[in-house]
Order: sequence, then structure tokens, then C-alpha cells
Amino acid sequence: MNTNSPLEEAICLAALEVADPAQRERFLERACAGDACLRSAVEEMLSLHQDAQKFFARGKSAVASAQMDFTPTGSEIPAAGAGSSDAVDDQIGTRLGHYKILQKMGEGGWGSVYMAEQEHPVRRQVAVKIIKPGMDSKSIIARFEAERQALALMDHPNIARVLDAGTTESGRPFFVMELVRGLRITQFCDENNFDARQRLELFIKVCHAIQHAHLKGIIHRDIKPSNILVTMIDGAAIPKVIDFGIAKAVEGRLTENPMVTACEQFVGTPAYMSPEQAEMSGFDVDTRSDIYSLGVLLYELLSGKTPFDSKVLMQSGWDEMRKTLREKEPPAPSTMITSMGPTEMRTMAGLRHAEPPKLISQLKGDLDWIVMMALEKDRNRRYQTANGFAMDVQRYLKNEPVIARPPSRIYRLQKLVKRNKVVFAAAAVVAVTLLAGFGISTWMFFREHEARREQAQLREKAERSEKRENELRQQAEAREQINQAAIFVSQEKFEDANRMLEGIKTPPPKPSFDGVSAYRSVGDWLASQGRWAESADRYLALMEIDKLDKWGAVTLDYQACGVVLVESGRREQYKQFCRSMVAGFDETSNGDAAGRILKTCLLLPPDEALMKQLKPMAAKAEDFFTGTDPKQMNGWSGIPVGLWCYRCGDYAQAAEWCRRSLDAEDKTGAQHATLRTILALCDYQTGRTNEAQLELSQTRETVAARVKDIRDRGDGAFGYWYDWQFAQILLREALGVQPAH
Amino acid sequence: MNDITLLLQATGRSENHAREDLFKLVYDELRRMAAVRMAREAAGQTLQPTALVHEAWLQLVGDGNRSWENRAHFFGAAADAMRRILIDNARRKAALKHGGGQSRVLIENLEISAATPDEHILLVNEALERLEAEDPEKARIVTLKFFGGLTNEEVAENLGVGLRTVVRQWTLAKIKMFRYLRSQI
Repeated sequence: MNTNSPLEEAICLAALEVADPAQRERFLERACAGDACLRSAVEEMLSLHQDAQKFFARGKSAVASAQMDFTPTGSEIPAAGAGSSDAVDDQIGTRLGHYKILQKMGEGGWGSVYMAEQEHPVRRQVAVKIIKPGMDSKSIIARFEAERQALALMDHPNIARVLDAGTTESGRPFFVMELVRGLRITQFCDENNFDARQRLELFIKVCHAIQHAHLKGIIHRDIKPSNILVTMIDGAAIPKVIDFGIAKAVEGRLTENPMVTACEQFVGTPAYMSPEQAEMSGFDVDTRSDIYSLGVLLYELLSGKTPFDSKVLMQSGWDEMRKTLREKEPPAPSTMITSMGPTEMRTMAGLRHAEPPKLISQLKGDLDWIVMMALEKDRNRRYQTANGFAMDVQRYLKNEPVIARPPSRIYRLQKLVKRNKVVFAAAAVVAVTLLAGFGISTWMFFREHEARREQAQLREKAERSEKRENELRQQAEAREQINQAAIFVSQEKFEDANRMLEGIKTPPPKPSFDGVSAYRSVGDWLASQGRWAESADRYLALMEIDKLDKWGAVTLDYQACGVVLVESGRREQYKQFCRSMVAGFDETSNGDAAGRILKTCLLLPPDEALMKQLKPMAAKAEDFFTGTDPKQMNGWSGIPVGLWCYRCGDYAQAAEWCRRSLDAEDKTGAQHATLRTILALCDYQTGRTNEAQLELSQTRETVAARVKDIRDRGDGAFGYWYDWQFAQILLREALGVQPAH
Repeated sequence: MNDITLLLQATGRSENHAREDLFKLVYDELRRMAAVRMAREAAGQTLQPTALVHEAWLQLVGDGNRSWENRAHFFGAAADAMRRILIDNARRKAALKHGGGQSRVLIENLEISAATPDEHILLVNEALERLEAEDPEKARIVTLKFFGGLTNEEVAENLGVGLRTVVRQWTLAKIKMFRYLRSQI
């Protein structure tokens, strides 16, 4: 056998730890330091390693599938019934605690499932899953125990409950679950020729079950068709999700040494695994990993295939598989169907009660986008909650516009660059640095001086990347908290959501759509409770997030924020907020936006500097509203410019704007109340005290009643709360104004 | 205390006869279990050697005996036994296929990528025999991992070396063995 020198071996082993090809190349260049012989020897080893890896992986499966067709001889087989040693079948008829094993139901990646009878405290049939030998029973049970309380909290008609766990006499762990009889969801849909709509409706139910678990803090981690069984009950298809909590208990084992054991130890199907799960870092899997798996499930329900072929993934070897899951964009479901052969296509469409062309056109567009959004590599770009996913599917079914959109070309490009630069560079640097740390022996081979300099540089790099990693981790945590808040909001647990958001020091850049709404909803809820200071904090955080978005509608957030700042009595902060808001929008061409900014800045009498700063925006708003067709005028059109004229001391002009606007329709009454208040202010200033008081007495009652309604009922029946609060603030000003003589 | 526990302890005291007895015992048990399984299950059923070895451990020793030392001896013996069983089995089948008499695959005529599972196992065995002569430490790791189905942690425990050493030696062993196989074709 040809042998390599220790130096060649050391460099080869070190290089193998650097996954990124470019980084590895750089490493080799440095390590071989111009020695072409050394370099080519190492290159040869690396290329051999790649083939050897495949060869041994295949060898491993050859061992695993070895057909041991012993020709039995009499002496080797004990007579039937004479104390059989077959551990698996031995289970039948035996007792595990309260459970009597009745019959075998099937076999999975981790072990066998039996039907059993529970005798105590209630007599019922259950499913018992016995984990196969070779797994570390102690830690499996420990992990399960850790999650047991959370599991007990789950109570959902579409989730099969995990009832119990323990170890058999021989030390094998087992789990006891509610017995579910049904077909796996894909098979069920095919056998019943479910069309796309029926499949989507069934899928929504699955999402709701998963959402329920997520709310209880449980991640499934192994969502796939065989874990979702469907039965027909009273003509309705009822899905049940099984195996909750088990994947986590069993999988810990896999993550201990991903680099080498992974390929051999791998259980389950990789086709449903999220990229972050494939990374096997273990600690960083969250609920969005389940969203990905749900995406694969929907993909298969619609197109009959998974985005990546399970067999191909398995055969490609571990590294290749991770790379695929991490980087390769799968074809959209409709494209997948287009690429099928004619027979396969017809069969597949037939099972979906459709002709191929019809099915393809049905998937193209919204459904493709929905599925692809769930399959985003970057979990921040996926649906953040199972509920959000279900809602988008629902929107599709109701023919409403969906949130999911096809990624733009720029986005794809950004993604590519980002993927390669930040994540990989950071990871590779850490890997190289770790090596430099413990692989002293490796480095001893290099010229000492150079090695030392390299090490200093690497240490510095490592420190930098560690800092970056900390930042990223903090951001990830913050995102997680925001998502949790979003979930609380969807349950209307505002107090909990508020507490969650309160704990976030700096909101992460680009949170999810759901996350942004959480800030807003909590801010609104706090405002409706009169908790102005807290509301202001939530809104200020929202402002930080909105900064990135110059879209006109966010100016509604600005308006709300201005109102809560004034109400919380933080004058200085309000002033500062106004200044930065005007600066941020001074180039807007959107008249509505300019109007909203203007009126928000004029809520309190502004100082001279702000007045000066506002002038161009006021001119823009005036132009915009003057040019508006009177028929298009709405209740609030007169407020910004009317208030501007009032603040400038041009009372006649102000009154004129208000009167014009009062002719327009106002569905909620808040705008008219505001206009009347400005009119009253003008009346005071021009000495018409009686008119002013008359105007105010009516308005005052309406506003007080509505503000109370909003506080008590907390709904949107009377329009936006901040419109009413806006009127309220001006009204207070008017009541405080002394007649001008 | 049963026979096997005594044997395991004797192996620990490096009594050679005990080592042989242990091997024989484990070998017989594995064969018996495999045969029973085969007789019961449908034809063409495959066996999971890893599972079989673990079951044999439960069968012979029971998980109550958690001494790592005993476990290490047992799995070491089981890996050897499993290797023997698999190789005998593959050779017999290859012999049947080629009309008998041939006890070793002719790797000269073999495309590595086209090898059947049985041929695959024989190829690994062939390379492993070479490695045993040259670098017994690496060869032991390969035997335990490949034929015994042990995890890196178990191998480390078994041989009393660090986990990292196992990982590195296994990687280098694979490269060596594969280089040898390729040079033979």
C-alpha cells in the first residue's frame, strides 16, 4: 500500500475540515507554501477521499442490506415455541407496564409500532412504538421527559397524543401514543382522487394542528406523509399528526458528531428535511423548520413528488445532500409536473381529478409561489407561522391576493451573494481558526515565522467573526421573540405579546411580515388601554423597522406614533420624531403621505424651526389637495392644510379648507370632529366665541363617546383609534384657548 | 453471574482462550439469531447487522450489565463475528454464482462502481486484510465501524483512544484502502 507522509496526512485532514471550496483552496496554498510535490500529494488524497467516502457509504448500505440467506440446518433452529430468541416478535403478548402488546402494525426508521391494549386506568387500545436497539435509551428517555410537560399541554383534535414513555425490560425505549387508524395523507388523497382544492383544504387542517403545537412550544421536526394519517369520519377527511416529541428525543444522538457519523447514522427521509436541519447543528432548529417540511408536504400533495428526490439525496452522500438542501433551488411544482413523462403526468393528474394542462395552469402563479415561499432556504423569508401559511392557502381558495410573491431577479442575486459571503465566509473562518487552535501539530510543519503571523491574523479574524456571530445570534433570538409575539397576537393574548416585545432591545433588521404586524397590533392595543408610554415604545420600535420602507401606507404608523408620543407627554421625543420624519419624507411625491406627515407634525403648536422645515411639505400637500377633484375629496383632505393655515395664523384660509372638507363624506365621524375642532379654534382666534363654544360642545360629546367606545370594545367599528385620539388632542387645545380679547 | 459475564471479564484479563471462546459464543449466537429470523420472515428479507449485534448483546448479556469494559469486549468480538458471517455469506453466494470453487472475488475484472452489495463487502474485506498487515490500529477501527456498526464514540471507548483520533484514522484508512483497491483494477 502506498503511504503518505505525516505532513501530507495532516494537511489533508485539516483541509477536509474546510468545507468551502474557495477557503479550502486558500488554505492549501498557504499550507503547501509553493511545494508542488506536497500539493499534488495532498490533492490526490483529497480526491481519493471523495471517492472513498462514496465507496464506503455504499459499502455501509451493502452491509446493512446484506441478505443472509442461511441454509438453516436442524441444529441451528430451535423448535417453534421453545424460547425463541427473536426479540421483535417476542414483544407480542408481553406486557409493558399497563400495556399488553397485541399485534405488530408496522416498522419505521427507528423501530416497530405495535397495537396494544391499555388496561389501567382506562381500557383502550393504543399504539406503542418500540425504539430499535442500538439507540442510547437513557438519553432518549431523558430528552423525552424534558419535553413531556409541554407535550401534555397539547390538546387538538388533529394531533395524536403521546401518552407515555418508558423502557422495556431489556432497556429499549418505547412511546405510547393514541392509536390512529388511517392512511398516510398522500395515499389517502390519491385513493380518493382528491382534487387540488380538497387537498388544500385538508392541508390547512394539518397547518392548524402544527400551529397548535408551536403555540405550546413543541416543534415536530419530522413532518412527512407517514406522520400524518387521514381517516374519513362522517364523510369528512380528518388528518391526525402523529409522533410529536419523538423526533427530538431520538434525534439528539445524530447531532453529536455530524461530520462522520451522519451518513451512516441517518434515519428518516431527507426529502422533508429543512436546510437548517440538514446542517445538523441541532441547537438552531425552530418552528420554521416545520414550515419548510409543511412546504414539502404541500409540494408533494400537489405535484406527486418531493422537491428533491429522496433516493438521489441519499445516494449523493452527506455533504452533497447538505449542499443541495442549502443551495439548490427546486423547480416550482408546476415545473416539476411539466418535466414528467406523458404517462406519469397523466396518472398523476388523474389522481388529482384533472387533466394535465388544467392542473399545470392551476398550480402556476399563486400556488407555485405559496409553496416556494414555504421552501425558502432562508427561514426568515418563509411563512413565519403555520397559521400564516394556512391563511395564504385560504386566501388562494377564496381568490384573494396571496402574500407569497415570486422572488425578483435582484433578490435572487442578493441571496446568492449573501449566501456566499457572510454565512460561508464566517463559517469557514471559524473552522480554519479552530484548526489553528488545536492543530498545533499541523502548524509545526510550516515555517515557523509564517505560521506565527498567520495565527495572529487568524485569531483576529476569528474574533471578528465571533462578534459577527454573536450579533447574528442576538438577531435570531430577537426574531424568535417577535414571532412568538405574533403568535400571541393571533390568539389575542396582547399582554403576553407586549411582554415579549418589551424584552427586545434592538429590533432585528427585516423582521417578518407577521412580526411587523405584531408591533403594530400591540401598540394599538396598549393605546386603546390608555397605556400611552408603553404604546409609544412599541411604535418607536416599529418606526425603526419602517425606516427601510418608503411606501406611503407606513405613514399611518407615523400618525399613530405621533399621537401616542403626544399622549404619553414626551414632548421632546415628539419634537425629535417630527424632525426626523420630515427629513425622511422630504422628497416624497405621494400627496397622501405628505398630508399625513404634515398633520402629525402640527398636532402640537410647532416651534419656528419645525415650521420652516415643514414649509415645502405643506406646499406639496396644498398643491395635491387643491388639485384633487372635489368629488374625490374625502373627510380628512382638509385637515393637513387647514391645520397648517391655522398654525400659520391664516384663520380665514384655514376655515375655508375645513368647510370644503366637511362637505365630503366621512364614514367614521373622526375626520369631521377634527375639522369642527379646527373651525372652533379659528373662531376663537377671530373673536367668534359663541360659535366656537357651540361647535365645541357638540364635538366634545361625540369624541368622548367614541374614545370610550374604542376603549371598551377595542374594535374598529368607528375607524382608526388614532384618528379619534387626534381629534381629542386638538379638542383639548381648543378648550384651553382663552377667547382672544 | 452467567457464562458470558465471566468470559467478558476473563477477556479483560487478556486470557487468550477466553477471547476465542467469546468470539465463538458471539458468532454462534449471531448466526442462530440470523437463521431464526430468516426462517420466520418472508424470503428476501434483509437483516440489519447493527441491530442484530445490539440484539445479541441484549440477548446474551442484558442491558442490566452496563459495564463499559464488558460492552467493549463484547462489541469487539461481535464485530469480528459479524465480519466472518458477512464474508462467509458473500463468498458462498459468489461461489454459487460463479459455479463454485472460487473463494475470493476477482477484483481485476471488477468495476468498483458496479459491484453488487456482496462484492462490495468482499472488496472492503480484501483491502482490510492488507491494512491489517500494515497498520493494525487503523484496521481495528475499520472492523469495528464497518462490520460492527459501532459509532465513533463506541469505537473510541472500545479502543481507549480519543474521539478525534477515531475520526482521523477512519478518514485516513478509507483513503488508504480505496487507493489500494483502485490500484488493483
